[in-house]
Amino acid sequence: MPKRRDILAIVLIVLPWTLLITVWHQSAIAPLLAIRKDDGVEGKRDAGGQAQDSKEYCASDKDIVEVVRTEYVYTRPPPWSDVLPTIHIITPTYSRPVQKAELTRLANTFLHVPNLHWILVEDSQRRTPLVTRLLRETGLNYTHLNVETPRNYKLRGDTRDPRIPRGTMQRNLALRWLRETFNANSSQAGIVYFADDDNTYSLELFEEMRSTRKVSVWPVAFVGGLRYESPKVNAAGKVYGWKTVFDPHRPFAIDMAGFAINLRLILFKPQAYFKLRGVKGGYQESSLLRELVTLNDLEPKAANCTKILVWHTRTEKPVLVNEGKKGFTDPNVEI
Amino acid sequence: MATRMKLKLKTVFVLYFMVSLLGLVYALMQLGQRCDCTEHDMPKDRTISRLRGELHRLQEKMRKAESTKQPQKSQPKPSLPTIFVITPTYARLVQKAELTRLSQTFLHVPQLHWIVVEDSPHKTPLVSEFLAKSGLPYTHLHMPTAKDRKLQEGDPSWLKPRGVEQRNEGLRWLREDRRAQPGGDSQQGVVYFADDDNTYSVPLFDEMRNTQRVSVWPVGLVGGMKYERPVVEGGKVVRFHTGWRPSRPFPMDMAGFAVSLKLVLANPEACFDGEAPMGFLESSFLQGLVTMDELEPKADNCSKVLVWHTRTEKPKMKREEALQAQGLGSDPAVEV
Repeated sequence: MPKRRDILAIVLIVLPWTLLITVWHQSAIAPLLAIRKDDGVEGKRDAGGQAQDSKEYCASDKDIVEVVRTEYVYTRPPPWSDVLPTIHIITPTYSRPVQKAELTRLANTFLHVPNLHWILVEDSQRRTPLVTRLLRETGLNYTHLNVETPRNYKLRGDTRDPRIPRGTMQRNLALRWLRETFNANSSQAGIVYFADDDNTYSLELFEEMRSTRKVSVWPVAFVGGLRYESPKVNAAGKVYGWKTVFDPHRPFAIDMAGFAINLRLILFKPQAYFKLRGVKGGYQESSLLRELVTLNDLEPKAANCTKILVWHTRTEKPVLVNEGKKGFTDPNVEI
Repeated sequence: MATRMKLKLKTVFVLYFMVSLLGLVYALMQLGQRCDCTEHDMPKDRTISRLRGELHRLQEKMRKAESTKQPQKSQPKPSLPTIFVITPTYARLVQKAELTRLSQTFLHVPQLHWIVVEDSPHKTPLVSEFLAKSGLPYTHLHMPTAKDRKLQEGDPSWLKPRGVEQRNEGLRWLREDRRAQPGGDSQQGVVYFADDDNTYSVPLFDEMRNTQRVSVWPVGLVGGMKYERPVVEGGKVVRFHTGWRPSRPFPMDMAGFAVSLKLVLANPEACFDGEAPMGFLESSFLQGLVTMDELEPKADNCSKVLVWHTRTEKPKMKREEALQAQGLGSDPAVEV
């Protein structure tokens, strides 16, 4: 007959071991071991792209590979990747003397960005040869569209009337093209960004927006009469307001260049477009975004909205006094 | 009873020993294996590392493609003359934006050396950091403009010549640097003056690369016209098509010509004259270097526009100024 003392002894001996094994199976300890191994191989990611030696590691789930800054120059866009989400850039444009210059330097910027698809929409009755030729010569992956803004919506001359939003019809056409071209169920990852042809974009911006899940936001320089406007981000990394002076109570007090939308969201909400009529100045962006997301869903980028990666530059209208009435220069020379 | 007890104890101890041994072996085996972390998976990090790996692979692929195309490719390409681009710059709101998009164009041009000269008594951190991250070979210089030569707030841009001291400093550095290089005065290279607000197309640099003395081409949106250009007849420049003071020795814009390095080194005194009358800045430099019939026309006999004299608007800061008056200005630590 086993004595109580013996049973106690057995229990005391076996219990710790059973506990140990069950706890082990909860894998509380195993990941700790794995993480310690990881710290040794993690490379630094330099988003600015400094020239550094490459550290080659086998690309596994836990190892992080350092991005190498190559020494040669790209004259053609980088090769297309099957893994990177495509960035669809929607640029409305219209004919004026600086158009070719603006599109040229914009193309020079885009040629550095992998998996970029440029959707250029002209404000014209038909596609102009200037833009057609330019797009072809850049070698970029592009789509050339056009739609003419009806005369009563067009800006007349130099008047800066904010009640008539420029480029709206062109952007809406591009959205419609995306919805007609891409199937909502397809697995093609894409990001949609509205890039005006006179702004300045840093290359880092495009990598920041590539990870957008719904709508991502960041600061923009030189808008709203300030050095920069930016979303207000709280300690939890959520957007709770807007740091602007001009009407900060707009639903989305942000410039066109300050946000990017995941393509899936565009496809899931096929009724979402920029409002054409009756839009107050500065509310154009809100007219689209409020149909897609709430403030809570916004993803702040650019180091929690503390870095400037895009500048709302404007190009001066060139003074062409010496052309006179009949035009001094040969009109056949394209500028 | 006692023996049974003893036996029991012995078996208990043996059991205990076996169980602990098994447990230890099990633990040791777990240590050696890769863990199955699916529950603790961090999908975001996974995606990031996967994407980076992909980017790395693509860049490797491109590098291999480039190297097989040109097996002799090494650091300095001896066959391609270096283009030295001298850019004067000064601190203002749009400076970083201008330099950013300028660098994005220059990155497409092989064998380009960027000489950035700040109008400042010392190198600013904004430009220093920017150049370090740009990925371009560069030289960072600085030379302040004399107070009486400097444009004041509200002055029209044409009132005083701009960038004179800075371009001259760039030339001075270039001469000093190249003198130390092997090859002496017969070095291959081209010097181009590129202002930070103009727009340059990449083919322009191909055109200027083989300049023997001074090459010229049209410039868009300058001189109050759609473009200004040299008029070419029989492969030679005979006059200039410009709407303003065509009687100048060289009625061209700074962006409309490039000088061969040889010529710059052979004429160590040639520089820009800040005292020259308005519009004569380019002529003051070129006069001592070349005559009109020695000019080499590029860009399809000066019929194509490959560079535009764009100017960037000064951003409106009304609200910023109002805020700053209240002490609520934007964070100056955020670099714009």
